[in-house]
Amino acid sequence: MVSRVLVPMDDSEMADAALEFALSAFPSAAVTVLHVAGGPTSYMGEAMSLAVADDVDAAVADRAEPVFERARAIADDADREITTEIELGSPAKTIINHAEGFDLVVIGSHSSNLASRLLLGNVAETVARNAPVPVTIVR
Amino acid sequence: MIEGLLLIGVLVAMFVGYNIGGSTTGPAFGPAVGAGTISKTVAAALMSLFFFLGAWTIGRRVVDTLGRELVTNPGVFTLPASITVLFFIGLALFVGNVFGVPASTSMTAVGAIAGLGLASNSLNWAVMGEIVTWWLVAPVVGFWVSAVIGRYFYAALNKRVALVQSDGPLVTVDRSGTLPKIALGPGTTRREMVGTTVVVAIGCIMAFSSGTSNVANAIAPLVGSGALEMNPGIILACVAVALGAFTIARRTLDTLGSDITSLPLTAAIVVATVSSLLVIGLSAIKIPASFVVIATMSIIGLGWGRATRTMRASRESISDQASDARVTVGSLAADTEGEELPDIGEEDPEDIPAAADLFNPSTTARVILMQNVVPLISTIGAYLVFRFLPVFGFS
Repeated sequence: MVSRVLVPMDDSEMADAALEFALSAFPSAAVTVLHVAGGPTSYMGEAMSLAVADDVDAAVADRAEPVFERARAIADDADREITTEIELGSPAKTIINHAEGFDLVVIGSHSSNLASRLLLGNVAETVARNAPVPVTIVR
Repeated sequence: MIEGLLLIGVLVAMFVGYNIGGSTTGPAFGPAVGAGTISKTVAAALMSLFFFLGAWTIGRRVVDTLGRELVTNPGVFTLPASITVLFFIGLALFVGNVFGVPASTSMTAVGAIAGLGLASNSLNWAVMGEIVTWWLVAPVVGFWVSAVIGRYFYAALNKRVALVQSDGPLVTVDRSGTLPKIALGPGTTRREMVGTTVVVAIGCIMAFSSGTSNVANAIAPLVGSGALEMNPGIILACVAVALGAFTIARRTLDTLGSDITSLPLTAAIVVATVSSLLVIGLSAIKIPASFVVIATMSIIGLGWGRATRTMRASRESISDQASDARVTVGSLAADTEGEELPDIGEEDPEDIPAAADLFNPSTTARVILMQNVVPLISTIGAYLVFRFLPVFGFS
């Protein structure tokens, strides 16, 4: 029985698809959306922008807000409630650490831009290989 | 025939310059335009002017290095070879602009010319070694200088730089007297004036530094081949850069989405100053410098320095702080009221990464590695092309 589902989301369409799938495939499960902020980018500008902020937590929350807004809109459409969580760090590693305590991870297959794929490799693949719980990859 | 080839060479060189103008204006003047301090047209004009100044005064030294010293026999720069080298440089700019994979134009240029030198057995290893040494040293210097600023001076700087824009014009000009009098506009504070001036001035320094290191990337192969004289070449490149600044740069200035154009203002000022001064310094000693790598290491240094400052405390209190952080972040982000937050106590505080962990060595290595992909491809590509395509006569 899948009762706790973790959906890691970035700003890609694949992430939206993953959340939509998780909500429709597990109508009675508690769905948690996780956003990992501050990961490596082409000039490391994102991580640095967070690190120099006077209030790092507020900056991180700001960064995650657009993603969560989209997630909530999707949840509203499905007439469901979701929990949102933020972590700071390298996406794949952070998601894997976070997966403990969930029954399933539902994740989009890849992010949309080439630079981040070169930098991070395929996060979904890494998570699928190393997560302590089953992983569903949505595309 | 030769005229036709030369025309192609000049066009490709101008294409390179055009792209440099397009991609440099954003990072240099993005903050000033974003804050509404200057218009895009003024930004383009400043970009063109300061690029020219940098190219004319210091940039020619780098043209010398790339066009005449990196290969022992400048005769290898036949027109077709020069055009091919320029093609690789243009490709690097294209990949950077279209796919968002940053690639240093200077490193790509050196790589392509080194490929040509290797294939024709005329690479000057002493010059090459000196260039590569500086490529290693300069980013490390950029990192440490920025880390010190981030750790000890950032907070104070940030207080000074706050750019509050008041309504109305920044300055008013009173033309009633014999000499026009310039006064601060209504509501313009002294601090605003200083902040505004600094942001524009730093854009100008970046444009100047781009001129010192990038003019060579557009024209060095043609100057090396003797097809183009130095001074007309520099003017040609600057015209192309201006074209790019006035046309495609408007688009890059609009998006401002790129990782380097959306830094916090104070951080952008620090990174731009440190990186530009390093690039100008290297150009002055005839080394083609990589702004991309230096700026990235400066960004990492600043972030890391600042993050370690805030975490300067005992292990115990770091863990406390981190758990507190989770509560704050969690409660801010909690979607529905009454929903239970994850049990804080169950989390191992050691697992929660501090901001400083965002800049760990393996992440840094991966970022720098990615920035070296395009220059590497251009080096190997140029070598293979020059070595095995009989057109060039080196095989």
